Amino acid sequence: MKNSSKLTILPWLTFIGRLILGGVLLAAGYLKAKNPSAAAGSVRVYEILPTGLANSLGYALPWIEIGVGLFLVIGIWVKRAAIAGGVLMFIFIVAIGQAWARKLAINCGCFGNGGISADGKVHPAVYLTEILRDFGLTIVAGYLYRFPHGKFGLDKASEEY
Amino acid sequence: MAEKKKNGKDTGTRNLVIGMILLVVLVGAGSALAKNRVNTHATMPSSVSSADGYGISFNPKATVKVDFYEDFQCPNCRNFEAVNSAYINRLVTSGKIHAVFHPMSFIGPESIATAAASACAADQGKFLEYHTALYENQGTAENSGTWNNQKLILLGHTVGIKSTKFDACVNNGNYVKWTSNIEADASSKNINSTPTVLINGKVIPPSAYLDQTAFSALFTAAGVK
Repeated sequence: MKNSSKLTILPWLTFIGRLILGGVLLAAGYLKAKNPSAAAGSVRVYEILPTGLANSLGYALPWIEIGVGLFLVIGIWVKRAAIAGGVLMFIFIVAIGQAWARKLAINCGCFGNGGISADGKVHPAVYLTEILRDFGLTIVAGYLYRFPHGKFGLDKASEEY
Repeated sequence: MAEKKKNGKDTGTRNLVIGMILLVVLVGAGSALAKNRVNTHATMPSSVSSADGYGISFNPKATVKVDFYEDFQCPNCRNFEAVNSAYINRLVTSGKIHAVFHPMSFIGPESIATAAASACAADQGKFLEYHTALYENQGTAENSGTWNNQKLILLGHTVGIKSTKFDACVNNGNYVKWTSNIEADASSKNINSTPTVLINGKVIPPSAYLDQTAFSALFTAAGVK
């Protein structure tokens, strides 16, 4: 076990990964929880769920993100939270991908630059940056699932959560 | 056994934190689901009805119904108004369309304040004037102090509102709760962006919003003379 410095760096990587994935979820959840009707709209625009269901999910989702984010940042149930965070990111990627394919604008609001401009032009960069960001976060979630025990966590090393 | 005892306190703290996080999620999600429904007990302007999505309604007997979903802080709505407000106001004041205005508030606190104040202006029969003035005086950044109660009252005076009831209505936030009804109803009707205009229930094409000729042609096609 003494053969490399890699092993001593692993808990730090886990800690940093927790802060990245947890921080992003916390921030995203907080901003959306402050404005529930915009949050509901941001689920509706993907046109996957029926309107009523999309709205309910839109109201609840920010709080789920906050919860998963808190577990990750504090360092409890890291493995479970990593699964939840990874699943969320995977769903976001699928949602954005299908919106791109169907030429749906993925913003809710006023500016009309959520991938489709007012003249109907498609802007791939808008979808691509979102997908790449979420893909990166999925990798972080995968790492946390594999190495859930890091610095400053409250999970016990002997147990798997 | 000794091991377990030593960790006893830690486990307790940990469980407490888990419980608290789960509670935050459940209470937050639960109250968000409960709050974002239409509240029929909210104080509402007199022209408002659930059939019209709680929007401020003009000429309910006209045959062509036009719904306007706009946010007073939305720059695209200001652009839309700059192009079309004179035409729209003329159609409304001459009684040619059943106009329903849905002042949205998803951009934030100053959208709620402006929407609520526009309903106060409606009570004084000055909705159209106030609505136009709000867009003409829109700030360059959202929620950054362009609108507060004092400024909203002052704007009312500039469009000719004299009643102190208007001032009190704005100051007391009489119609703040009503703005949630507008939002809840628009959400249930899948209104995802502003401005959105519906003529007889049909969303107009995106290209018509900033093109006065195309915009008025839609009304002619719908039978407005």
